[in-house]
Order: sequence, then C-alpha cells, then structure tokens
Amino acid sequence: MKRSLSIAALWILLAAGALSAAEFRRENISARRLDNGLKILLYEDHDIPNIAYYTFFRVGSRNERPGLTGVSHFIEHMMFNGSAAYGPGEFDRIMEFNGGANNAYTSDDMTAYTDWFPKAALEKMMRMEADRMRGLLFDPEVLEAERGVIASERRLGVENDNDSLLDETVRATAIMAHPYHWGVIGWMSDILSWQRDEIRAYFRTYYAPNNAVLVVAGDFETAAIMELIKKHYGDIPAATAPPAVLTVEPPQIGTRRVQLRKPAQIPSFQAVYHVPAVSHADFPALSLLETILLRGESSRLYRRLVSDAQLAISVSGGISQTLDPFLFYIQVKPRPGADLELLEKTISEELAKVQESGVTGIEMEKAVNSARTGFYAPLQTIAGKANMLGFTELVFGGFENLFTMVDRFAAVTPAQVQEACRMYLNDDNKTVGTLVPAGGAR
Amino acid sequence: MKRLLGITLTGLFFTWALGAAGYLPPPQQFMLENGLTVLLHQDNELPLVSFRLLVPGAGTVSEKADGLADLTAQLLMKGTASRTANQIAEELDRLGVTLRCGAQEEFTEMSGSSLSENFARMLALAADCLLAPAFAPGEFAKERQRRIDAIRQVQDEPAQAVRQYFRKAYFGRHPLGSLKAGTEPTLSKMTVEEVRAFYKLALRPEKAVLAVCGKIDAKELKRLLASTLGRWPRPLAPSVEASMPALPAVAGRTCVLIDKPDASQAYFMLGVPGLPFGDAASPQAEVMNTLFGGRFTSWLNSELRIKRGLTYGARSGLQSWRPGGIFTVSSYTKNDKIGEMLAITFELLAKGRKDGFSDLEVESARNYILGQFPPSLESLNSKTRAYADLFFYGLGFQYYDELMARVAKAPAAEINQIARALFPERNYVLVVVGKADDIRKQLEPFGPFQEKKIVAGDF
Repeated sequence: MKRSLSIAALWILLAAGALSAAEFRRENISARRLDNGLKILLYEDHDIPNIAYYTFFRVGSRNERPGLTGVSHFIEHMMFNGSAAYGPGEFDRIMEFNGGANNAYTSDDMTAYTDWFPKAALEKMMRMEADRMRGLLFDPEVLEAERGVIASERRLGVENDNDSLLDETVRATAIMAHPYHWGVIGWMSDILSWQRDEIRAYFRTYYAPNNAVLVVAGDFETAAIMELIKKHYGDIPAATAPPAVLTVEPPQIGTRRVQLRKPAQIPSFQAVYHVPAVSHADFPALSLLETILLRGESSRLYRRLVSDAQLAISVSGGISQTLDPFLFYIQVKPRPGADLELLEKTISEELAKVQESGVTGIEMEKAVNSARTGFYAPLQTIAGKANMLGFTELVFGGFENLFTMVDRFAAVTPAQVQEACRMYLNDDNKTVGTLVPAGGAR
Repeated sequence: MKRLLGITLTGLFFTWALGAAGYLPPPQQFMLENGLTVLLHQDNELPLVSFRLLVPGAGTVSEKADGLADLTAQLLMKGTASRTANQIAEELDRLGVTLRCGAQEEFTEMSGSSLSENFARMLALAADCLLAPAFAPGEFAKERQRRIDAIRQVQDEPAQAVRQYFRKAYFGRHPLGSLKAGTEPTLSKMTVEEVRAFYKLALRPEKAVLAVCGKIDAKELKRLLASTLGRWPRPLAPSVEASMPALPAVAGRTCVLIDKPDASQAYFMLGVPGLPFGDAASPQAEVMNTLFGGRFTSWLNSELRIKRGLTYGARSGLQSWRPGGIFTVSSYTKNDKIGEMLAITFELLAKGRKDGFSDLEVESARNYILGQFPPSLESLNSKTRAYADLFFYGLGFQYYDELMARVAKAPAAEINQIARALFPERNYVLVVVGKADDIRKQLEPFGPFQEKKIVAGDF
C-alpha cells in the first residue's frame, strides 16, 4: 500500500557492483544546486516516455524527540493533504488524472517522495511538488482523519504482526539513548497526541530546499528541465539549517534480554548487535558478513538452522545502511515449539566458527558476486535509478560514492570479515529478544 | 472542477503518443524438437539476462491435494541426480543469481535472473533441476515440515490469513480452492511418491513456453538450449491436462467469521464472480476497478481512508484465469469500526450500480492506466512475464496495444455497465478475520455468519 513505512525500500542499495557496460555512469549524471540550497541530480533516459521524479528530505525518525515520535512519517502522509495552491486530496487527483502515480517512504534517516508520470505531465507535477515544499495547510479535520490512518497502519504493521512487535521492543532495549530507540511509526500514545503547532514547526524546520535533494530520471532534456526547476523552486526560501543529532549511543557492556508473551502459534527470535554507520571503515566488511551468514540457502545460518538442525523456518537480517550507528540483526522464525535456548546457542557456535577460523575464499566470492548482481537489478528502471542516486546522496555522503562502491566491497579481505565478526558480533554487544506463545490457537 | 477540465487536452495528447509506440516488441520465436516454445527479446542495455519458463497443466488446479504442485516445484531445486540440495544452493549463491520455482493456479513456473556472463551456468543448473530432480525422501520430509510450520505463521498474521480463508470459502471444492502452500492435513499425508508422480505426469515440455530477455542473441541462446532444455524429453504418455471446470456460481450470501481473539483490527475480504483472462470486457473492467478500488483516489480508499481515517488501505482487485475470474474488495479497521466500514463499502457498491462513474472520473482512470502502463513493462522480468503470459493465454503479442487502445476509448456507459454486472448486492462471499466477541454483533446486517475458530494448520 502506498505511503508505506518502508524501511524495506533501503534494500535497493544493499549492494553495489561494477559499473561498466551501462550508460548509467558518473559522467552522465548532472548535479546542480540552486541558490536556495536545493540539490538536483538529473539522469536522462529515453527508453520509455515516462519520468521518475524523486524528492528526498533529510529528515526521519532520528530527528524526532519523545512526544513527537512518528511525526516524520506523519508529515509524509500530510504532504498529500493540501498545500498553498492545492487543497486536500488535489495532489493525488491531479497526479492520477494526468496519468501519474506516487508513493512515499520514511526511514530512520530520510523521507522520500516518489512520483512516476508520463513526460507530458512534467510541469504540472513539478508545480505541485514545489508548492508542497513551500508549505502545507495542516487542515485540522484532515489532520485528525490522517491520524486515524496512521493508527491503523501501526495496528496493521506492528500490533498485529508479531515479528514487528518484537522488533520494536528489541530495538528499544538495545538502543537506549539515540533516537533510533523508537521505530519510524512512533509510539501509539504519541500518534494520538501530536499537536498541530508542533507538527507545523517540525515541518518548517526540515522541509526547506536546503534540506532536500531532487532527483529526476527519465524522458526529459536536461537544459529544459533546469529552466523549469529554477522557475518553480527558485523562489522558495532557504531555512536555518536543522539542528544536528548529537546523541551518541553509549557502548553496551553485557548481554541484554527481553521477552514478549502473547497469543501466537509460532515464536519469534532476534539477536541484535551494535554496529557502525555506513561511513565507517568496517561497514563493507560487515555487509559481506551479512551475505555470508544470512543470504541465500547456502548461507551459514540458513544451512545450520533451517536445513541441518531444522530449528527454524527462515532466517533474515543483516546490517542497515544508516547515518548513525545502528544494529546488525539476526532474525529467526523458529519452528513451533523450538527450543529457543538451543537456537541461541547454535547461532553463537556459528559466529564462533567465523571468529576463530574466518571465512572462505568461495564465501567472499559469493558475497561480492551477490553484491554485483544485486546492483544491476534496480538499474533496469528509471525509478530504480532515481532511488539509488537519491539514497546514495543522502546516506553515503554524495551520489558519486555509488560509482565506487563496488571497489569498497571488492577490496575487503577475509581477515577483515573475521575481525568485524569478532569485534561486533560478540556477547557483550548483544541484545536477545524472544516472543513466546501464550495461549492462542492449538 | 475547472482545473481538472483544463487538463483534459494533455491527457488526450499522451494517450495518443503512447498508443502509437507499441508496448511490447515482438519477440523472436522458435520451437525446440521436444515442443518447447522459445520467445527471445534481445536487449543489450545492461549485462543481464532474465528467463521465465511456464509449464501449463502443472498448476494447483491440476493437483490432487492442496500444496502438491508448489511443493513439487520447490523440490526441483533440492537435489538432482548429480547435485545435492546444498550444492545447488552453493552454486546459485556463488553466481549471485536468483532462481525460483513455484506453482500458480494454471501452471508451474521457473524464473531466473543473472549477469549475462553467468547465464549459461544458470541455465544449465535450471535445466538440471527440471530434468533430473532427485526428490530425495530426506529433502522431501524437510521441506514438507517447513511448509507445515509456515502455515501456522500465516495464521498468526490476520492480513495474510484472511486471503486463505477467503479462497476456501469462495471456491470450496472447486480446483481453484486448492491452497498453493497446502494445509497441515494435506501436507502431513503427502508422500514423496505423489510428488514423483505429479512431476512425471505434469511437468513436460510440449506445451511449455520459455521467455528470455536481455543481453543474449538467438544463436547463442539456441546453442545453450541444445545442451540444456532441448534435452527435456517429451513423454510418450499423452498429456492429461484437463480443462478447468467453470467457476462456482455465487448464489446468496456465504459469510464466514474467523475468530482471532488477540486481533486489534478486523480484516475483511468480499468477493463475487469476475472475468476470464483476456475477456472482451477486460478494458472496461480495468477502468472500473481503477475507479472503485484500484488506486489511491479510488472511491473505496477515498471514503474509508482519506475521508474517515478508518484504515491504512482499502482496495479492490480483479483476478482472472482461463475459465473465469473473481472481483474482490478488501480492507481492515479497528474492531469497533468494522460494521461501519462494511456498511460504507456496500453503500459504495450500491452507488456504483445505481449512479455509476462520471465521464470525468472515467477519463481520469483511462489516463491513469495509460500513463502507468509503460513502466510496468520496463524491467527484463516484467517483459519475460508478459511474453510468457500472452503466449499461454493465446492473446498475441500485440494484446497490450489493443488493450490500451480500448482502454483509451472506453466510454463511461460501458464502464458503468460492467460495474452493474459485477458489483454485488445480495449474492457474495464475505470473510472476516477478527476478535469475534467484539465484532459479531456489528456483522449481523451483512449476512448470517458461520463462525469458526482457527484450527492450527488448516483453513
């Protein structure tokens, strides 16, 4: 469903690989900046008569505070509910009337607005996008209805989804100080009590051209679109730079444990470990470690837990591409009635093997190959290209880094993967969460 | 109103521009000696190749028990005469390719995507899985158990569970009522011999189609196929693909309430008969569905989400197979609002039958469908899907051009005719999953409900 709470959208950059054959190269991307600070990335692609128009704002749940948790995601929803020149609902009506569709997503670090439309609709869409960057109505009645939508989204995505419920609890246990403590959706009591004035102030702080990146990929001419962008965005004033997020999560000193008990047929299990941000030198090694431990049926934890010991239905997780240090996840869907202590012990044994004996050359080859192949999948579409450029610009400190990322991955040595496993995936740095069935259908 | 009228000309312009282009380039087509049809579209933009193989008659409607076809498909990748399951997984992961096997209602499909430099190895591996599966009892037992466990996981999540319960309530014993993932009672009785027998009978090349798109030319593809899928033997026994019986008629109200005592939201799915795949009225039905519940500003989403904030999402959809299809409406809301939500839903359906959609609404939906269509065929995977589907349903590769041309011209009167035909009034199937004690009374106006408890592993 649209406007989803989509941390998942970040999978696209899970990996990066060699850029050789395609025309999607660094030198074919035009990067500009308006006087008001709006950064613009343009990539012409004339395969289909459509345009992918992506606007990224440097705001996510990491910018929130207690009482206002979830408000970044709420503003994502309110962006469709009326701006100066367009009343509530008109954005979508006009977009769809002109053959366009849209969505948006909010993560811990950013909010992205994604439009896909036929090229003939470009200026109409741009006018609407610029208008909502300039300001929103926050009509009180509409705001209340949207609050109900978010509450339903939270009930759907967290309260009636056992894995997500556990995830929220584990995250809040592992991260005490940094705003990554809460999830993007926010706490239900905050959702029900955000005040209009607070929401507006938050919007004004973060929704300014100097805090945004506009990425356009598709069937347009660069010179012509630049003129349109200047015309529609040029007069939007810059705002004072938002405050930096200064809180640093203190080091964890000892395993933490948390348990949920609720009606369920199947338990849930997670172990998480503090790991550094994308900018850290250890990030590529941890990304390769993720593939070796968790990706594919040949991965170590799938093979051990699902294929061999048959303790689990599935395994997932890994490292997130975040601006600040976050968590490495090992998420397991145990079989009904599985011994969760044995499960945890088995995971520890597998990690110990990597820590003591390292990884093989074949595993390294697999991880780099997987990254390389995964890199090309989104490049098949203009939407994928736009998303990759914007995400890299915001999270990896510049879109240029997209084109060197394969080198960062390929340069990792087996010893670095082993060392990263030792340094981060150890017991003192671990938080374990379980959801244990209590009652429920039998 | 004025603003929207002003946009009309633009809409007409791009409708014309797209219609002239041709959505799907005609593929190169040839047949192997064993009867396998091959469709190739060469595209050198990226160093990638995707394929999709579709085997008619090996879908869930052909199986004897829920879950047999999909389990058989999955087991193809769990060991062959010359490779263990682990070796297959190892090889696939090492190449960084994705390879998937699964069953849909009318066919089994195998699809994969790789860097072009690895395509030959992926194809060889895929052919080995398809031609020489081991169906080892150990792997069978493991995969069967994993599936039984996964069914319980689905039952823990009402958003997923409601679809399974609906399928059973709507189709009952009709072959379309077979659940792809199986149920605990059917899977626990299944034997590896049944899997072997299904494979032998149903997975055969003579009616199958292979679509390949990406950086590869016909000469190279033919060379690779000669040593791989070209060796797929055509069985001597004649194909037994039976045509699917007509879909069940829906007479009166069939209403089921599934009690999930811990649910804080109630989830509903409402269904009525729809249209066969490629039906002459499909363009009109697409426009109708877009307006009713197929996009963000649809009637359903406007009333339930945008105006009232009752839900995060509300939608309608058309599902089609060769002999027929269904039209469904679904959403969810907190327990104390489900009665209100259903009342609004039925009011909207009544309004659709009585008043229909306006010319302006119909124009908007046509523009929307036409504008969103080109990206839907942009990736290699979406192209292989389109080629294989069009071949299977016998619709021709210009089908989408014809479909879109007809969408572009469909007048409101035709859209409203299909709405009157499909929108239910007194005959429907309605399934609700939620906390029965909180919602039972609210459901009374919508039909006599049969109330069921969740039985672990079954639907």
